[in-house]
Amino acid sequence: MTIISLMKQVPLPSEMRMGDDGLMDRTKAKSIINVDCSYALEAGLQMKRENPEARLIVCSMGPPSFEESLRNALAMGYDDAYLLSDRKLGGSDTYATGLAISTMLKHLGFGAGKDEEYIIVAGRQTSDGDTAHVPSQVAENMGIPQATFIETATLTEGKVEAKRIIEGGYQMMRLPTPCALSFTPTGIPPRRASLSGTIKAKASRFTTFSIEDINLSDEKIGLSGSPTIVAKVTNIKSERAPAKMTEHGDVEAFIQSIASGKNTIEAKEAKVKKAKKRPEGFEEVDFRGGASGVLTWAEVANGKITQPSFELLTPAVSLAKSLDAKVITLLIGHEVEGLASALIARGSDEVIVVEDARLQEYLILPFAEIFAEVIAERKPEIALFGASTAGRELAPRVGVKTSSGVTADCTALEIGEYISRKEKRIYAPILESRRPTYGESKLATILGFVCPQISTARAGTFEVPSADESRQGVVSHFTPTLEEKVFASEIIKTVRGEGGLASLDSADIIIAGGRGTTADGMEMIKQLAESLKAQGVKAEWACSRVMVDEGVAEYARQIGQTGKTVRPKIYIAVGLSGAVQHIAGIKESETIIAINHNANETIFANADFGLVGEYEDVLPELIEKVKSGFTFGLEVK
Amino acid sequence: MDKTDIIQRDVVIVGAGPAGLATAIEMANRLKQAGEEKRIMVIEKGREVGSHILSGAVIRPKVFESLLSAEEYAGVPFDSKVTTDSVAKLSEEGEMVLPFHPPYMGNEGNYTASLGAICQYLAQIAKQKGVEVYSGFAVDEMLYNEAGCVSGVKLKDTGVDHEGVKQKNYQAGTTVEAKLVILAEGTRGSLTKKVVNRFNLDIGKNPQIYSLGVKEIWKVPEGTIEAGAVYHTFGYPLQDKSEFGGGFIYGLSESRVALGLVVGLDYKDPSFDVHAAMQIWKTHPYVAKFLEGGSILEFGAKTLPEGGWNALPRYYDENLMIVGDSAGFLTTARLKGVHLAVRSGICAGETAVEALLAEDTSKQMLAGYETRVNASSIYTELYPVRNMRAVMQEGMIVGGLKMGVQLVTGGACLLVPPVHADCDETQTTEAYQGVPFAERFKGKLHFDKKRTFDKVTSVFYSKAMHDEVQPVHLRINNKAQFQKENIEAYGLSEASFCPAEVYELHEDKEGVKSLRLHAENCVHCKSCDIKSPLGGITWSVPYGGDGPEYRYM
Repeated sequence: MTIISLMKQVPLPSEMRMGDDGLMDRTKAKSIINVDCSYALEAGLQMKRENPEARLIVCSMGPPSFEESLRNALAMGYDDAYLLSDRKLGGSDTYATGLAISTMLKHLGFGAGKDEEYIIVAGRQTSDGDTAHVPSQVAENMGIPQATFIETATLTEGKVEAKRIIEGGYQMMRLPTPCALSFTPTGIPPRRASLSGTIKAKASRFTTFSIEDINLSDEKIGLSGSPTIVAKVTNIKSERAPAKMTEHGDVEAFIQSIASGKNTIEAKEAKVKKAKKRPEGFEEVDFRGGASGVLTWAEVANGKITQPSFELLTPAVSLAKSLDAKVITLLIGHEVEGLASALIARGSDEVIVVEDARLQEYLILPFAEIFAEVIAERKPEIALFGASTAGRELAPRVGVKTSSGVTADCTALEIGEYISRKEKRIYAPILESRRPTYGESKLATILGFVCPQISTARAGTFEVPSADESRQGVVSHFTPTLEEKVFASEIIKTVRGEGGLASLDSADIIIAGGRGTTADGMEMIKQLAESLKAQGVKAEWACSRVMVDEGVAEYARQIGQTGKTVRPKIYIAVGLSGAVQHIAGIKESETIIAINHNANETIFANADFGLVGEYEDVLPELIEKVKSGFTFGLEVK
Repeated sequence: MDKTDIIQRDVVIVGAGPAGLATAIEMANRLKQAGEEKRIMVIEKGREVGSHILSGAVIRPKVFESLLSAEEYAGVPFDSKVTTDSVAKLSEEGEMVLPFHPPYMGNEGNYTASLGAICQYLAQIAKQKGVEVYSGFAVDEMLYNEAGCVSGVKLKDTGVDHEGVKQKNYQAGTTVEAKLVILAEGTRGSLTKKVVNRFNLDIGKNPQIYSLGVKEIWKVPEGTIEAGAVYHTFGYPLQDKSEFGGGFIYGLSESRVALGLVVGLDYKDPSFDVHAAMQIWKTHPYVAKFLEGGSILEFGAKTLPEGGWNALPRYYDENLMIVGDSAGFLTTARLKGVHLAVRSGICAGETAVEALLAEDTSKQMLAGYETRVNASSIYTELYPVRNMRAVMQEGMIVGGLKMGVQLVTGGACLLVPPVHADCDETQTTEAYQGVPFAERFKGKLHFDKKRTFDKVTSVFYSKAMHDEVQPVHLRINNKAQFQKENIEAYGLSEASFCPAEVYELHEDKEGVKSLRLHAENCVHCKSCDIKSPLGGITWSVPYGGDGPEYRYM
């Protein structure tokens, strides 16, 4: 058995936050092993403990400077390290990266019909890319089952049991080997290398491959091998009027302040968009080759269509309108046909239903196969997935099957054009997928040149379209050919608890606790949420990263960079300082209320109402107020 | 202890600052001359060499010429040669630039520099000479042989939770056995403190006293300050006789400014706050003009041993030597320690090689280190001013006069007041008769986060990070006493003097006061180990690689 750990080196997070004036300078930035990857490294070491005969190898792709982190992995206890390093790899997107890494693994003798048993462990996503694509793409390229968002896993007699984080809970899964697992940074924290381990690592075997070494041709990598490009990067600025502040923990005055309404910003005159001059004499290229239509996925959980799947219909309808095309939604499950009408009412022109008793719960292999078959038959130009734990692994796997790139976690989707001055061509129409990047400080526009152009949309970003029960649409059926082997991995059990991601999406009020609320383990935060619920408000509690790190709350409740974006009607931040990542996750909220003992905290600069006071003093009073009917200005039906 | 994880070296040096690296380089040079090979290992707690290094810094370069070859010396990354150099006395309303330099404050021929960058360079030189330098590892235990003498060090175990319970990712710290251990931990070394106590190395000496320096680096509009320009201030916001210290403003290349305020920790006000004082100092027009239109790049804090000659412990024992700030080699009169740190490293390195070659690392043999120090510029710089810091307790005027006497007499002076440890100088809230800090600077303690900063924002700019799953590295020595004295009688002066808001005074509705400890904010300045009333706190090393991530300091 060989345990293969995939690893990336990234700039130190503290360096990522340097310089809001431009892109960070990676040449100067100090580097570390990407945090998620370090959890995967530890997961591999834990598997080795149970399988002492296993060989541990670590693989990476990147510049020679990655040797530092690979040596660190060796120091932690890995046996061999391999680095794929070639200047020609520069500009590779996730698709090309997935291909290059799997080519290296095949070169090392894994997969491709060879018998050696192996398992791939990888980080869920990288802090400088945040896509979570590569593990799925590698798995598809290797032709092996996968499980992403894994917290812990055991490897016993060639079988894997893994705990996979899903919205509002978790799943226990069983997978055969070989398989690929991607790990969240919530399992067993990575060990620190010992000094003796570090000394040993200096002498360990370290192999660097060029692309020739692994027989990978130029055109499959770098810019030419990448179906997507980054077309533009702009700064993100928030526009919120200054907060109305209440000092000294004066709850009465605070309640009045909320009742009096927010401050408003003088509306700036909308900038007249300068029509870009289209260069003359350029050839206009329609690269779609007849592909048409916007395909979306209707994810079903607990017998219901998930909120992000409905949200997806907002951009889908608007894109289809720009393209004069249809919205087609794929609905897969067991006894799900009845759900189709809700999709049609919200904008689907056609719902393709795939019914199979084995598909009651989402499973990546059969679902990816079904998508590939439907795409082959229908040839949509765009395919959209909600960026749920399922959507984020399914989209890249489907992407590899259709040779398309994927843009992850988009917050805006529009139709535009791409002018290539070099080629003297205009590519139009093209999907412009925008996503926050560099710790949410920038907005990148990403374009794909292969149909379907695939994107995942960040949950909570788009509104659910209102239902029009009179809308007409087609419900059709599709019968895929599914081989038995796509059911190789199985779900042992699914646990969806109270709360969690699903309810954060639909909550009207979210109360989040930060570092300042550690003392009582967020007890009062929970009580405030409970008392609001008792008033008939859809309320939930959440937290910042610190609280997850401290084990006070589960990962599913984390909001911010590697957590999620929320857009409740009212967001109440208690004891939160307002770290950039957190602000990014909440800034779409309609109203932001901040409670903190320090009047100078950044959070107040991003809030509509502020209450300066000690958490322990203010919250009990607020809970009492809620019990007698105060709901932070939210109308209770 | 993990019996299998033991390595042997001839010499292990704890700390890759200027003293530790100079020791290593001097040893490597001399061993090469002698045609001998010995295994020398330097272990550094910062994530990288330089991560935990902070100095003003205006550096006297001469000593590097003694340490390095001409070619190596040419590569030392000094920043800029000192061009102008002036001293100003600040009052709340204005300033007076002194027409002369106080003795020892001249900087001709010196360089402004980032000491972190210099240490990285020295580490590189040391590695080229065959020295093993490992950063990101914390040494937290001395090992002793059967005779009770130093025999090596042990690194910190990792993967242990707050309560000391081993986690699944537990890794035992490696044991390094060595013939000779050289402590170069910097100011207030945590191992140094242990060996000084164990072997009574400070018997008959003055207690070591310290200053706390709080420093920022700014990027400013071009033309604001000349690279190599050096300005020192004294006076405002410090009060003569109450606080000893002053400010520095140094011009660096690429339109950067290094500036900071250094304050002796022998003040009495339990609520005095050096970090806040520095923020207030920055708003003085004399200082503010250098920051106009600029923005902060980095923040850091460090203590400096200022006890001078009379506070030097015996800096050697069986199989043990102590170098640099850990021993207390710093000229208060110049506010400079780098050149002495390097010089002490040279003396120790020479002694170490002699001892290794003679296969004798006994105390008697290592006494050669002291002989060398006494014959070096360390003596000529420190001995004549041995009483300087002590008389400055009486303020700049009386102290300045007595200092003048010392310059004539070669350091002798009548009526030298006794020196007490800094932690004994703080008075209780009730006993303190002066104006408390918050009143003294009423209306000036609001920080705008652009030019002036609260402590948490400063910590952000130090890039300090600590793994939260580890035993807390700041130990309250006696919880009951801490509650009664430090919190109730002294009003948690730790919350005031700590520049990184590690200590927070919490008061609940009933008025019950308690300590909230934010160990993850720590920037490793060691002020708490020094200044906490009744020696209430012991600072120990957290996991290796944790702490600030200085880049230009």
